[in-house]
Amino acid sequence: MHPLIRILAPACVITACALLAAPAFAQSAAAAVAAPASSSLYQAFGGRSGLVTLMDDFMARLLADPRTGPHFKPANQQRVKEQLVDQFCVAMAGPCVYKGADMKSAHANLDITKGDFNALVEVLQHAMDAQKIPFTAQNQLLTLLAPMHRDVITVK
Amino acid sequence: MKTLTTALLMGAAGLACTTAQADTGKLLLTGGVSSIDGAAGGGLTPWAVIGSNATAGEIGGSAFVTRTSTQDFGLTAYGAAVGFQDRVELSLARQDFDASPAIALNGVAPFGVTPGQHILMDVVGVKLKVAGDAVLDSDSLMPQIAVGLEYKSVTPGSLGSVLNFLGTRTNGTDFYISATKLFLAQGFLLNATLRNTNANQNGLLGFGSAAPGKDSRSWVPEVSAAYLLSKNWAVGAEYRTKPNNLEDLGRAAGLADGLAEDAWKDIFVAWAPNKNASVTLAYADLGRIVPGVTAARKQSGFYLSAQLAF
Repeated sequence: MHPLIRILAPACVITACALLAAPAFAQSAAAAVAAPASSSLYQAFGGRSGLVTLMDDFMARLLADPRTGPHFKPANQQRVKEQLVDQFCVAMAGPCVYKGADMKSAHANLDITKGDFNALVEVLQHAMDAQKIPFTAQNQLLTLLAPMHRDVITVK
Repeated sequence: MKTLTTALLMGAAGLACTTAQADTGKLLLTGGVSSIDGAAGGGLTPWAVIGSNATAGEIGGSAFVTRTSTQDFGLTAYGAAVGFQDRVELSLARQDFDASPAIALNGVAPFGVTPGQHILMDVVGVKLKVAGDAVLDSDSLMPQIAVGLEYKSVTPGSLGSVLNFLGTRTNGTDFYISATKLFLAQGFLLNATLRNTNANQNGLLGFGSAAPGKDSRSWVPEVSAAYLLSKNWAVGAEYRTKPNNLEDLGRAAGLADGLAEDAWKDIFVAWAPNKNASVTLAYADLGRIVPGVTAARKQSGFYLSAQLAF
């Protein structure tokens, strides 16, 4: 057998397998609509339980930080944590539904500066560090959340 | 050595600042470091970011000192910048260029160059952010865009006679437009700057040239790329093209390529232990710098910079 063919042959077999497997894959994709498969980012955060742990720590840090504390002390903290779990989970294409208000109306009555927004991101980074979330996974989540600055920052 | 000590002291002071939280709110490393000309950016080129930790509604400041030395030359730069509202940046920098090898020019003509001559250059910079957010607009390809100018004034000392002979002016203004984008999910930052300038070696050898050198202005591109290894560490590279105004004048004067000028390049690693301090170490290839007085060799060497920001 020509060496090049020998190298290519396994690749061809894999392709064929992929083609043969396609219907089965489609089937499982259909099943996934009923019970959505979780994204790898969601897994990197430890799934739902990982997010719950992260939010408990995140909220404790938000309250302790003099920059963010005043914004969160008057809030129903338990509810905010639950909503953050759902919201982050949805952002990461995890199997959740976010039932809370949209970001714009949720923050419309609050005075939030870009400095406040960045302070929250910084506290979140610390919380993610504490949970040993890899840096790349952290940045992938922040990439999904950062555009919310347009709706969250009310003092421009 | 004195500069190195200063740089290390500044780094140490920055470390000590960890507990003294400033109330300015920019994210770590997103204000860039200080370029040798004082503007926030990479080491050799300005970026579209506004210096200091100040974000909207805030005023912040930064200060830096940079030292680089090559086979034949040395450059110390220091300065400060103020950032207003993450919108406007004003910067001041002084460069002290050890041009000792220029003493050889006395062999070409009686220029009266004194031993150990330094060339001083002051740079006043203004930068205005005009669009975008390099960090937070992570769902679009739109970069942060800024326009800026750098007014540069040179004090050549006994090398004034040489600059006169070359027909260069001792002050000039660079204009530039920069676009900076952080690809957050990938941890990759790109900057492109287009500069309009007539400076020779960034202005250290004056501006423009007598004929047949090039006296007119040029548009020159500069690019930087950085990869974030973690919140505190970044590595990257820069490439800054420059005009080559004096080479033809040198040829006409029988100096061959003795006045030729090349692009500046570097690879760097930047460390920000906290929001108030950063240290940048680079290896820079500065190409030929008046090769006629340096046995035609290229100049390269290490570059160390420390910055404090609030």
